[in-house]
Amino acid sequence: MDILLALVVAVLLVVGGLFALLAAIGIVRLPDVYTRMHAASKAGTVGSSLMLVAAGLHSGEFATFARAFAGVVFFILTAPVAAHLVAKAAHQAGYRLSRGAVCDDMRDKAKN
Amino acid sequence: MPSAEEKRQRTGLVLPTGFAGLWLLLFCLWLIFNSSLALPILATGVVAATALAWIFTTRSTVWHYVRLTPRTLYHFLAYTGVFFVELVKANVNMLRYVYSPRIDIRPGIVKIRMRLRSPIGRLALANSIALTPGSLVMDVEDDALYVHWLDVRTTDIDEASEMIAGPFEKHLGRVFG
Repeated sequence: MDILLALVVAVLLVVGGLFALLAAIGIVRLPDVYTRMHAASKAGTVGSSLMLVAAGLHSGEFATFARAFAGVVFFILTAPVAAHLVAKAAHQAGYRLSRGAVCDDMRDKAKN
Repeated sequence: MPSAEEKRQRTGLVLPTGFAGLWLLLFCLWLIFNSSLALPILATGVVAATALAWIFTTRSTVWHYVRLTPRTLYHFLAYTGVFFVELVKANVNMLRYVYSPRIDIRPGIVKIRMRLRSPIGRLALANSIALTPGSLVMDVEDDALYVHWLDVRTTDIDEASEMIAGPFEKHLGRVFG
């Protein structure tokens, strides 16, 4: 039973770390601020959530796990808001979409 | 809220709409964070939850739309399930985009329509959209959401609405209206 729990914790930690790495590489590789916010908000949230759950499981106490889980919930509630605000601020400041962009309904709205 | 006003006139005092739900939520959070049932902690939690719930339900109307019934609970759980499936899909997609040798995306901002009316329902929808496959809410305007889409598949407003908001709206509409 102990070894099973340790295995689950190890897998969660490694996968969480991989997603955090994915967020970091995404921020470097993607072309503009909007697409970068995608990487930061999604992969970053899942990476840190998995590691929090791993920490909660490893403690073996329900109280610690409940707190870790509450942390996950707050992550899910707040990370999208932050990403939204960064993207909206960038758009209002006039930051263009990358060259491959297909359409920009928001700029069209501002023109009309 | 005319019915609450009538009750207030009849009985003198009535709890604001949505007070009980918010109080329960705050008190449960307090219990989780303290993870103790000692009397002083319980008493502090009751006082703090009452004060916060009172302030937020009398000063803003956001919490008035939350109804607590078994039906909304069921739809909320179903929504949570849909949400986690979409979250996993979003991250597998992200994995594919980012680790592929040539980044193959067609980004763009599209306008979609939402059917939800209440502010808290819209907040939940916008948050869900931000965490699901390749979409990020940029702005809200009346009934329209401007969504940054990592891989634009259609610019038609109805098709886009269905693809982005469709999975969540059904359940969220039942919970928050």
